[in-house]
Amino acid sequence: MKFDFAFALSILPELTRASFLALAIALVSSLLASVLGFLLELTRRTGPVADHAITFAIDSVRVTPLIVQLYFVFFVLPYWGIVLPALVVGIGCLTIHYSSYLAEVFKAGLDAIPRELLDAAKALGLRPWLTNLLIILPLVLRNSIPAMGNYFLSILKATPYLSLIAVNELLGTAFEFASDTFRYYEPFAILGAFFLGYSLLIAAAVRRVERYFMRSLGQMRR
Amino acid sequence: MSAGEIFLGIFAGVQVTLAVALYALLFAVPFALIFGILQYLSRGYARFAVTAAIEFWRSSSAIVLLFVFFYVLPFVGLPLGPYTVAAMVLGLNMGGYGSQVVRGALAALDRGQLEAARALGMSRFQALVTVELPQAFRQMLPTFINELVELIKLTALVSLITLADPTFRAKQIFQITYQPAVIYTCLLLIYFMLGYPIARVGKRLERRFAKASVVPK
Repeated sequence: MKFDFAFALSILPELTRASFLALAIALVSSLLASVLGFLLELTRRTGPVADHAITFAIDSVRVTPLIVQLYFVFFVLPYWGIVLPALVVGIGCLTIHYSSYLAEVFKAGLDAIPRELLDAAKALGLRPWLTNLLIILPLVLRNSIPAMGNYFLSILKATPYLSLIAVNELLGTAFEFASDTFRYYEPFAILGAFFLGYSLLIAAAVRRVERYFMRSLGQMRR
Repeated sequence: MSAGEIFLGIFAGVQVTLAVALYALLFAVPFALIFGILQYLSRGYARFAVTAAIEFWRSSSAIVLLFVFFYVLPFVGLPLGPYTVAAMVLGLNMGGYGSQVVRGALAALDRGQLEAARALGMSRFQALVTVELPQAFRQMLPTFINELVELIKLTALVSLITLADPTFRAKQIFQITYQPAVIYTCLLLIYFMLGYPIARVGKRLERRFAKASVVPK
C-alpha cells in the first residue's frame, strides 16, 4: 500500500474542517476549565466544609475515566428527559474533568503566594474581590502557566474521545474515510500531522504567555 | 435486571482492567527508568534521539495510538492481539510520562551529591546507582502512584478494541436492558472503587515526603 497523494488531497478539506472543530473544542474547554478550576479552588478556601466537599468531588472526578464520564452524561441525561447536543456534552465533560486537575494546579499556585502580599492588600483596604482580581489572579497565573499549558495540551489530545459520542472531530472523520475506502495511511497521516502542528502551536503560545508574565511581573520579585 | 445483577455483571470485567494494567506496567516501568535515566545522562544528538522516542509515546493521544496499532497495522501485515496492543500502547504512553518523572527527580537533586560521590572516587555509574537513584526514588514514588491511577483510567479505552473490561460490559448490558442510569452509575462507582484508595495512598506519601525533604540545600 503506497501513499496516494491525490486521495490525500481529496480528503484534506474535510479533515481540515474537522481539525478546526477539534482545536475550537480544545480552546473553549481549556478556557472554561481554567475558570471553573480557579473558582473551585477559591471556594475550597472559604471553610473546612467547603474544603472537604470540593476536595472529595475533585478526587472523584479525577479517578474516573473521561470516556466513562462521557458515556454517563451522553446516555443518562436523555433518559431523564434532558437532551443536549453531543458537542455541548463533550465540551461540558472536558471542562469538568480538567477543571479538577487545574484546581490542584491553582492550589499550588495560590500556596506559593507570600502572605505579606495579602496582608498588604488588606492594609490598603482592598475589598476581597478586588484582592482576588488584582493581586491573587495575576500571581497565580504566573505561578501556574507552565502546568496549565501541559493540561491544555492534554485537553487537545483528549478531543478524539468525543468521536465516541458522535462529534465529528478529527479521529471520527479520519475513521469514516478509512472505513469507507479501506485506505488507512492517508487519513491517519494527516490526522497525526494536524495534532503535531496544533500541539506545537499551543506549546509555543504557552511559552510566549509565560515569558510575558515573567517580564511584566519580574520587577516585583525583588 | 436488578441493580445488583448489573453491578456484578460489570464488575466481572475488573479482572481485564487489572490484567491490562499489570501487562502495561511491564512496558511502562522499564521504559520510564531506562529512558528517563538516558535523557538525564545524554547530551547532544544522543539526547535528541532519546527525547524523540519519549515524545512519540508521550505526546500522542492514547486513543489514537490504540486505533492505529489495532486497526491500521493489520493492513501493513502486522496483526497484533488486543492484549498486546493494549499493554504496549498504554504502557509506553504511561512510560513516556514516567520518564519525565524520573528525569525530573534526578535533575532536582543537589549537584553537590554527585560531586561528592565523584570526589570520593566513584565512577559515574556507581554514583548514579548508589547515590543519585536512591534519593530520586523517594521523590518519584508519590508521583508514580498517582500515575497508576491514570493508567487504570486509560484501561477504559481497551473496551474500544474488543476487550471485555467493565466499560465494554456496561455497553453490552446497556444494549440488552435499556437502563442507562443504573448501568453507568455502577460503572463510575467501580472505577471510583479502584482508583480512589490508590489516590489516597499517593496523597499521603506526597505529604510525608514533603515533610521529610527538609534537608538543607
